[in-house]
Formats: sequence, structure tokens, C-alpha cells
Amino acid sequence: MAQDHEPNDQSTDLELIARWKAGDERAASSLVARHAPALARFAASLGQRVDVDEVVQDTFVRAFGSIDSFRADSSLRTWLFTIERRLILDRRRSARRRRDDTSVDDVDAATEFDPLDEMVAEEAQARVRKAVERLSRLQREVFLLRVNEGLSYKEIAEVLGSTEGAARVHYHNAMRAVKESLYV
Amino acid sequence: MFDCANVEMRELLPELVGGTLDVATRARVEQHVSSCAECASELETLRLVRSAYASTPTVDVRRIVGALPKVPPTASTGRGGRPLTRWIDWRVAAALTMISVGGLSLAVARRWSADVRPRDVGSVGSSVDTLVVPTPRPVDTAGSPSPSNGQRRSPIQPSRNPHVTPPKAQLAFAGGVDDLDDASIKALLGALDEMDRAPLAPSEEPDPTPVLRVIRPGAK
Repeated sequence: MAQDHEPNDQSTDLELIARWKAGDERAASSLVARHAPALARFAASLGQRVDVDEVVQDTFVRAFGSIDSFRADSSLRTWLFTIERRLILDRRRSARRRRDDTSVDDVDAATEFDPLDEMVAEEAQARVRKAVERLSRLQREVFLLRVNEGLSYKEIAEVLGSTEGAARVHYHNAMRAVKESLYV
Repeated sequence: MFDCANVEMRELLPELVGGTLDVATRARVEQHVSSCAECASELETLRLVRSAYASTPTVDVRRIVGALPKVPPTASTGRGGRPLTRWIDWRVAAALTMISVGGLSLAVARRWSADVRPRDVGSVGSSVDTLVVPTPRPVDTAGSPSPSNGQRRSPIQPSRNPHVTPPKAQLAFAGGVDDLDDASIKALLGALDEMDRAPLAPSEEPDPTPVLRVIRPGAK
């Protein structure tokens, strides 16, 4: 069966975007295949347990619909993370409104996730997940973007709409909290 | 629990776990970690976190791609999302059509003006105007042979009759009708009728075209 994207496409994101603008559908497939797993991981790490696929799809639809607003001074993945994060936050706000729940602070957000023990086989990983879930939402986002996705503080600041220094502080506070949860 | 004082090395630990360091930097960080208990502990924590979140929820790439907008909303499209090249093609075709029609019209107009212009009114100054009137030719209904040279002769040919003054134009008339008397006008009208009855097919025979001389009053 012919693949609709090129799994080993070495083109840069900007090259693929240009090809897609020129009408190459395979370039879009390559971009989605390249970034969808990271977006799915990020969505899951933010507590999106269901509809991860839908969140990722909405992220790409929104991104491709406004691709002209993408500026090459940041990476495409960073930009996609930014869009996805806003989508997830919007979904949570909508869900809260439906539940008539008006508490919106970070600490509450950190406690609304279901335990993942049943999804994690090893005990150590379960402990790590619990430790991460105890973090505030902002700490968790910074921590996972840094550790799992390898984003720099500058890129994290772009995703969160914050500063590089703030991202650095959130990361180190998160790291300290996780280590205390695991080893103390 | 303490943090390592070597901030540079500590900041590079996530990149070490992610495998994005170059060879030299990686060797340097690994050497540091081997001698730093704090960094070794933090590195282990980072690896646990990555492994805990390593499982990626499955995403249907094909479905996502199918949901993407088909036409890129770029400046290369005109209003309404229609490709600009389509408009350009249409305009180019319209311009070429207009140029062709205009050129053809100009050519027809020039030919018409050339046909009606009395080219050989150079004889205007002469006192005798020559009117060449072809005689009716028999129409060969059985199929008249085509000219031997393959060229179609004009229905009105220059006369080869030695009695005929060889005019350059078949019908040339200079001066106003008011200058002619009744007899001359009748002769002229009769000649025109003869021309109307002239066959279109040329003849191979010598053209016995009579010449009607119109003598202006007062001319010698």
C-alpha cells in the first residue's frame, strides 16, 4: 500500500510548509506524522485522558488554517504546543462551566487528574506519574515540556506566554518537588 | 536533598536524557555525572519521568490529514479562495482573443479601403477615362476546366485585346457624375449591369473585353 506521507522525509518544517502551500498533500502528511506523537504525549501529560486524538487533530486544523501567522523565529513544534495548550485550556474551561465549577487555580487543576496506576505497569513509573501530577499545572507543563519534549526555556516561555526566567524557576521547583516525592 | 552547584552541567541533564547533545558536550556531562551524586540522582529521575510518559497515545495521522483544510489560505489565492492562476489564465486568453479580433478587423478594413480606393486615378489628369467592361462569359455547367497554371483568375481581368486601352484598373472613373451627359450615364449604367452579369469563373480564352470610352464634354 502506498504511503500518503514520507516517513523519512528529511525536509525541514519550513520546507514542508512551503510544499503544502504549493499544493503538496504529502507534505502535510509528513508534518502531521512528525509532530503528532509529541502533541499526543503533551496532551496526555496535561491530563487529557480522552479525546487525545481529537485534540491533536484540532491542533493541526487550527495550525494549518492560520499557517500564515506562523513565524519562523520559533520552531513549528513550539508553535503547535502553544496552540494545543490553548485548546486544552479552553476545553477545561468549557467543562468547568458545564459543571458550574468556578475554581480555576493551578492547584485545583493539578488535582483533577485521574490516577494512572492502572495504565502504568511498573511501580516506579507510577510513582513518578503521581509525583508529576501533584505539581501545579504550570510546573507540570514546564517540567514535561523540558524533560519529555526537550524544549529550551526560551521555547517553553513562548508556549506558555511567559518569560524564560519564569520557565527556569518553574522547572527547578518542579524537579525539586518530584525528587522529594520520590526519595523523601 | 541538595542540588548540584554546577549549574551548567545541571542544565544540560535534560538534553543528555533526550540525546540531543553533541559528542563532546555529552562526554563532558557524563564525566561530571560520574563524579556528582546530585546530578546522578537527578539524571535517574529524568529517565524515570521520560519512561513514565514514553507511551504515546495513538493518533490517526490519515484522519488528521483528511481533516486539514485543502486549499492553503495563502496570498497565492484570489478572493474567495479561488486560485489566482485561474484568473490569470482567463485574462490572458481574453486579451489574446481581443488582440486577434482587433488585428483581423484592421486587416479587413485595410483591404476593403484598398479595394475601393481608385489606385490608378493617376489618370485623373487625362482627358479620357477608361472603363473596362467584361463581356458575359458562358457558364460551363459541365465543369469548366480550371486554369492550366492552377491560378484562379480574377473575374475582371486586364484586357489582352489590342484594341483595348490597357488600363491598370478595370474600372476607373475620375470626375463627378455631373460632368457626364445623359448618354454617358446610360452607357455607364449599362456597363455596370454587364459587370453584374459577368460570371465568376474565369476563362482561358482571351478576354474580349470591350472598352467603353467616356468622353468628357469638352475633351479632345
